[in-house]
Amino acid sequence: MFGFSPQELAAIALSVKVAVVATLCSLPFGIALGWLLARARLRGMLLLDTLLMLPLVVPPVVTGYALLVLFGRQGAIGAFLHDALGITLAFRWTGAALACAIMGFPLMVRAIRLSIEAVDPRLEQAAATLGANRWRVFFGVTLPLAWPGVLAGAVLAFAKALGEFGATITFVSSIPGQTQTISSAIYGLMQVPGGESGIWRLTVVAVAISFCALLLSEWLARRQRANAGTRA
Amino acid sequence: MTWDLAFEVRRGGFTRALEVRSEHRVIALVGASGAGKTSLLHAIAGLLRPTRGHVVVDGQCLFDAVRRIDIPAHRRRIGYVFQDARLFPHLDVRGNLLYGLRGDAVREPRFGMEHVVELLGIGPLLARDIHGLSGGETQRVALGRALLSQPKILLLDEPLSMLDMDRRDELLPYLQRVRDDARLPMIYVSHYPDEVRRIADEVHRIPG
Amino acid sequence: MSWNSLRNLAVLALVCAFALPGRAQSLTVFAAASLKESMDAAASAYQVESGQQVQVSYAASSALARQVEQGAPADVYVSADLAWMDYLQARGLIDAASRHDLLGNALVLIAPAASPARALSLADGDAGAFLERLGEDGRIAVALVDAVPAGRYARAAFESLGLWAALRPHLAEAENVRAALMLVARGETPLGVVYASDALAEPRVHVLATFPAGSHPPIVYPVARVAASTHPRGGDFVRWLQSPHALAIFRRHGFTTPAAGD
Repeated sequence: MFGFSPQELAAIALSVKVAVVATLCSLPFGIALGWLLARARLRGMLLLDTLLMLPLVVPPVVTGYALLVLFGRQGAIGAFLHDALGITLAFRWTGAALACAIMGFPLMVRAIRLSIEAVDPRLEQAAATLGANRWRVFFGVTLPLAWPGVLAGAVLAFAKALGEFGATITFVSSIPGQTQTISSAIYGLMQVPGGESGIWRLTVVAVAISFCALLLSEWLARRQRANAGTRA
Repeated sequence: MTWDLAFEVRRGGFTRALEVRSEHRVIALVGASGAGKTSLLHAIAGLLRPTRGHVVVDGQCLFDAVRRIDIPAHRRRIGYVFQDARLFPHLDVRGNLLYGLRGDAVREPRFGMEHVVELLGIGPLLARDIHGLSGGETQRVALGRALLSQPKILLLDEPLSMLDMDRRDELLPYLQRVRDDARLPMIYVSHYPDEVRRIADEVHRIPG
Repeated sequence: MSWNSLRNLAVLALVCAFALPGRAQSLTVFAAASLKESMDAAASAYQVESGQQVQVSYAASSALARQVEQGAPADVYVSADLAWMDYLQARGLIDAASRHDLLGNALVLIAPAASPARALSLADGDAGAFLERLGEDGRIAVALVDAVPAGRYARAAFESLGLWAALRPHLAEAENVRAALMLVARGETPLGVVYASDALAEPRVHVLATFPAGSHPPIVYPVARVAASTHPRGGDFVRWLQSPHALAIFRRHGFTTPAAGD
């Protein structure tokens, strides 16, 4: 199909699967942390914010190494997950999803936090006077108003996950069908003399998917700006 | 029916105190702009915690600093009409009206949907987007929304101050209808004394 | 001092920083990842002997070759296989006269130090012992088998021993041979295939078996001066690497060297 080899198609399918899973699984956490950073007035929020931004500034290979140390078969958390819950992340696509989720998380949280901050807290006050407890205020007022921004954060994280390489290959290596994503496949092809045509094919696909995702994110962000205000 | 309000709030750099004991059902708080009237209403509604004192309405204690009682805003059954209405932009008029009609409120609906809609004349507006409403229509919807949450008390924070003279004259009768029909304890806040006299039984000045 | 002259001074300083040779006097060597400790030692020795500062950059031979192709400012290139040196030579990117086969190496099968030291037989076609060692979901760490020399040697060795089909689904391909080494050292994989020199460098692994020299193409590390380099000491360094002193350093780190007289 389109001149893609089976291995290339497998890499594309795996990349999409990993990116979708990474995004969906990290979304609840992203919303919770975005809300926390936007609304809660506790001490240590600055520290939390800085910690969350770490995957953006630390070299991806370092993040991958940290994941290996924590979640590998010998890692503190990895060993527990394996022995107690039968969950393995090392050398499996689930580990790739975790790496991608971590790398995309700062972008997601930042976008969600900004969109929740943009929701007028006076509307939340009004909801409280109408008998809504914290949960109902969040799900009935805050989240619906912040939703386009939440989606934008999710799409950003998806695009980041699609392009992730350093952390993934360090943590779960490159295993065709399991952890060989588009990026790993491109990296491998780059090191084979004559691999250029495969590189360009895969790059075009990756760019096309990411481009669509980013366009969607931008469109959603504009809708958010139109929505969340209050009548002065 | 008794109002027993004696508390102090701190907002920004200043403190405001309120001391009202009354047996009138509908009372008004009057004072110049910036006198802190909104902060006092917020405290009664549970949106702002007083630094000391107590808030007791019709025998129910909503706040007492000494006895450490502070009922959260969402459980006070207080209908609050804000100066800026604060309708939810993601819901249409019907959605806004019905927002408070859930949970505890539904079990004993003293104010039904049809009745409130008729009382405030907002039938034609039900399917409308809130962004297209006039100032007067917005306030009527806000009032309806507050009533439909089945409150035990109504607080109105300068509901007419954002409107021009004509709209104000248009809306005032609706306020009077609600006052007479719902028969709820009401606190009406304004800085227009004549408007206040047409609504309230007793007027209290807030020094500003 | 007026703002104007202060600004001019700043511009002058910036221009000087970029224009002065300064760091450019240092000799830049691109070397395969598996040469990490040995080349560091050799570079230090050269620095002491000649006073010439040497900077070494380590990565997969393939990545380095691509960088040289794109004009990276390397003066000397040492590859872990002949293919990538041939690639650069075919494009006229290295000084063919300076090219020399510098080192050899062996390919070994390793396991984490904590695991049983029971040797593993590399008998033809007998994948049973491997699979038993791997257990249910264990993997064999190797470098990328299509791209990195160490990975290609591993694949060639398994193929010639008739083990490739059975073991291929159990591989974990790491970015380069040192990353594969790290996986075994950390106990993340029960087995790995790396160079003998790598196994020597890492105390947390031990060698279970050595792949017969005939099972893979000879592992040769060619060295050459990069054609585009203008550094005056480039050629001298390449020659020095072939001296008995330098070769002794590499042998200490587990490499083999051509017999004297080659």
